[in-house]
Amino acid sequence: MYGLEAINAHNGWAMALTGAIIVMTGLTVLATIISQLHRIIGFMENCKSGKAETETPRVEPPVMETQPAATVLSDPGSCVDRFHLMTTDAGETFDLTTLHQIFTQNDDPHPHLTIRSLREQGYLVSAGEGRFSWKP
Amino acid sequence: MELFLQFISNTGFFLTDYRYLIMMAVGCTFVYLAIAKEYEPLLLLPIGFGVIIGNIPFFKGFGLGIYESNSVLHYLYFGVTSGLYPSIVFLGLGAMTDFSSLLIRPKLMLLGAAAQMGIYFTLLSALALGFMPKEAGSIAIIGGADGPTSIFLTAKLAPHLIGPVAIAAYSYMALIPIIQPPIMRLLTTKEERLIRMPDVERTVSRKELLLFPVIGVVLCCYLAPASIPLLGPFFFGNLMKVSGVVDRLAKTAASSIIDTATIFLGFTVGASTQGDVFLTPKSVGIFFLGAIAFSIATASGVLFAKLMNLFMKNKINPLLGAAGVSAVPGSAREVHLVGQKEDPSNYLLMHAMACNSSGVIGSAICAGILWSFLV
Repeated sequence: MYGLEAINAHNGWAMALTGAIIVMTGLTVLATIISQLHRIIGFMENCKSGKAETETPRVEPPVMETQPAATVLSDPGSCVDRFHLMTTDAGETFDLTTLHQIFTQNDDPHPHLTIRSLREQGYLVSAGEGRFSWKP
Repeated sequence: MELFLQFISNTGFFLTDYRYLIMMAVGCTFVYLAIAKEYEPLLLLPIGFGVIIGNIPFFKGFGLGIYESNSVLHYLYFGVTSGLYPSIVFLGLGAMTDFSSLLIRPKLMLLGAAAQMGIYFTLLSALALGFMPKEAGSIAIIGGADGPTSIFLTAKLAPHLIGPVAIAAYSYMALIPIIQPPIMRLLTTKEERLIRMPDVERTVSRKELLLFPVIGVVLCCYLAPASIPLLGPFFFGNLMKVSGVVDRLAKTAASSIIDTATIFLGFTVGASTQGDVFLTPKSVGIFFLGAIAFSIATASGVLFAKLMNLFMKNKINPLLGAAGVSAVPGSAREVHLVGQKEDPSNYLLMHAMACNSSGVIGSAICAGILWSFLV
């Protein structure tokens, strides 16, 4: 048996449709739960501490399509030296994931924005194959 | 003289035939790709060498071959046929996975779900090509782009296809840099590829990281109990990692344990891929369907992202849909690189990793669903 006849004979359509619906539904429910998780945890913590909390809506920054990100560094020169020192152990070239981890470990509140800013201002240059280095 | 002739007739030189030689060439090719080109070396090297070992001819009955009971290879192969090695690999994967990016961007989980449509499309294609339902299920899971999941499900449904399915799955995972980018470019416009993802600078709390594996395993395994052998260890490994109280166990799971399982998994899968099993028209069909599975999975993720954009004010970069396949971190890296080609200052990696992590969960759920349908 081949073709549509084989699919019909083996309940292929039902399996495919049901399976697709199950996995989409499951991950949608999981996504919904985790999207509210931080609010639930915050609410429970406030209940525990006995304070009434007014929920502030999570403000997402607008999508910036062509404009560069706002500069995070107020004093680029001295901050770049500090960042440079943080990455001494990472070697001459490093990938952005490693850099993100280093900044997070050094308590940078916005590591992603910092990396973007360094990149846009030319302090981080591409060394090829997904790796970066500091501008000489 | 008679003794000498008897000895000669028992050597591999006397017993070989063209199929073994072809398979040894395949094994050598995999070893070359792993070492010289660094294509998925952690998997292609053990598999390639296993193929070489498994295709050395020998006199049957001495307990040497992987299919002969009481042979060393047969005992090691038990971990594949029983589904033990994939479970252990998932334990290590969970201990290595950081779900922060997914917890910050839960919408991207839907892209991981959408990419699993490649599995169901391939299921229909395999049935249409004349494969039996259990074989079709084993072939379809290649679309999940997850090697251990493919091996796990094939061991349960169609153990005789473990060799071709595993080699197809891992080969296509290694070829992601070739398969995915053209599909991504074909299905997206330049403007769409330039979309920047908004930064959500919310710190994920430790409580969220602790609750996620518990909620995840309960929800996913209630939905598809057959995925317990994969998702149970996966979320357990992750919980060990984030708990912070069993660092030693988490580090061991993420290093020695997963490495040991990977070595034996790859080696024995390779050794099981013998010429008379592998060089059949079915294997050609499996390779063909595997390519379709990967391509449809990539396309469905990208197209779903475009569909989501019809309803969203803050658009998602549709390239992220391609990272919904389970090939961590290869497909996330490819998405990031394709985005960077359009705009070098557009960093999609962390967003792509969220989709990738979701893809791992999605493909394991699909394996459980297919197993429960087809058992």
